[in-house]
Amino acid sequence: MDRQKIRWIIFTGLFVIVALAYTVEIKMVSQPSFEVKKSFDYIESLPEGTILMVSFDHEASSLPEVQPISLVLIRHAFRNNLKIIGLSLFAEGTAIGYRTLNRIAAEYDKRYGYDYVFLGFKPQHIAAILGMGESIYDVFPRDYLGHLTDTIPIMDSVENYDDIEMVISITDGDRAVQWIEYAGPRYNQKIMAGLTAAMITSYDPYLSSGQLSSVIGGLKGAAEYENLYGEPGKGNRGMPAQTAAHLYLVVLIVIGNIIYFRNRKRQGRGGL
Amino acid sequence: MSTRLPLAVCLVSGVVMFLQYFSRHPVAKLVYQTVTNDWWQVIFAFTLIVGVAGFIKISLRKISRKEDVTYSLIAMGGLIAMPTLAMIGGTGIESPFQWAFENLLAPMQATVFSLLAFFVASASFRGFRARSIPAAILLATALLVLIGRLPLAEHISESIPELTFWIKNYPSMAARRAILIGIGLGSMTTALRVILGIERTYLSGK
Repeated sequence: MDRQKIRWIIFTGLFVIVALAYTVEIKMVSQPSFEVKKSFDYIESLPEGTILMVSFDHEASSLPEVQPISLVLIRHAFRNNLKIIGLSLFAEGTAIGYRTLNRIAAEYDKRYGYDYVFLGFKPQHIAAILGMGESIYDVFPRDYLGHLTDTIPIMDSVENYDDIEMVISITDGDRAVQWIEYAGPRYNQKIMAGLTAAMITSYDPYLSSGQLSSVIGGLKGAAEYENLYGEPGKGNRGMPAQTAAHLYLVVLIVIGNIIYFRNRKRQGRGGL
Repeated sequence: MSTRLPLAVCLVSGVVMFLQYFSRHPVAKLVYQTVTNDWWQVIFAFTLIVGVAGFIKISLRKISRKEDVTYSLIAMGGLIAMPTLAMIGGTGIESPFQWAFENLLAPMQATVFSLLAFFVASASFRGFRARSIPAAILLATALLVLIGRLPLAEHISESIPELTFWIKNYPSMAARRAILIGIGLGSMTTALRVILGIERTYLSGK
């Protein structure tokens, strides 16, 4: 069979398997990982009125994987009456962040300006992260809607990181690394990250050293958090499709190797 | 003079920013805030101008040479359309700019990102072979991690997630740490070389 045909079969197979798995509702419950449990317990332990900063540091392309994380985290925060300062250090995360916050806020009857605020986007993320350590007002003189930041009620008690319990960076790249490297050591800011699964290993050293408080990784992390939260959402919804795709890859790798060894044997070169 | 002045600016900026990190004096704080909040943003704005100008130049050159004309025209169209929409209707949440972002750019990006899954599937079939012992170890590890990341794993065997956890936290982390330490040392060395004027590639190597 020629290569082009094989490629088409593989592509069609993946499409059919993922589409089928997505349409079928299968509940897949797994034990929450240590990190997800730690994230959940930490948010759960915070007293009402505590201020969290949620940074939507991702592009639209990774939305299916990281949005379930931000949705469940914000739901959890609002259910526990925590306050949220939203922002984005990635231009494309701005509208996504604003819409996500507004959507969840409406579910919990939270008021803009009192229970949450969205500061918008600031270019040059390192400068913004460092600048907010001194004064958030200087970096964001106005919020996303154009209100003067110092006139917004939720900001009354906030000057810089000293008044923020934790920064949660929802990211599909290394933006959380900058939070860890700049807001962490200089301002002692606690950082949590919501990541795509592919990025988890990049953050392991920071996690192990304690520079990163905890992490929620990929769709599986979101699904585990949703199970702890008690309301299955987009994370759980996507797990069958992700499981099917992983199993499909495993099958392809096995078949590919069987063909490889068979061909080697035919050519008289057995073994590794 | 054309070399000495940038070198002097670089040396002073580097030394001042290095020293201010260790001081909580109001002057140090003011210098720090001015540089991070104002100067850095202004410099960034100029780099955008350079980037856009470069992009237009390359696209126009391609169009004049009749190379990838369609792609270049679409790219130029996007470059003109988005700022025009922003200037006409602003960048607010209900603006045409946001509409274009959410209904054109976001789906296009998601599409390109999704295509990766297909390439990974094809590559894993054609390229992931146990050609040697190291390749076989890599292959076995990849299979284990692929299965270990599934909710099904713990139902197959409890030791699969444990093994995945071990791979992630020991061999993988050791390699990652080595890379990070290497990057850190490399960054420090490069910064010192730039501050001291040894590294001059930003001056066209003069």
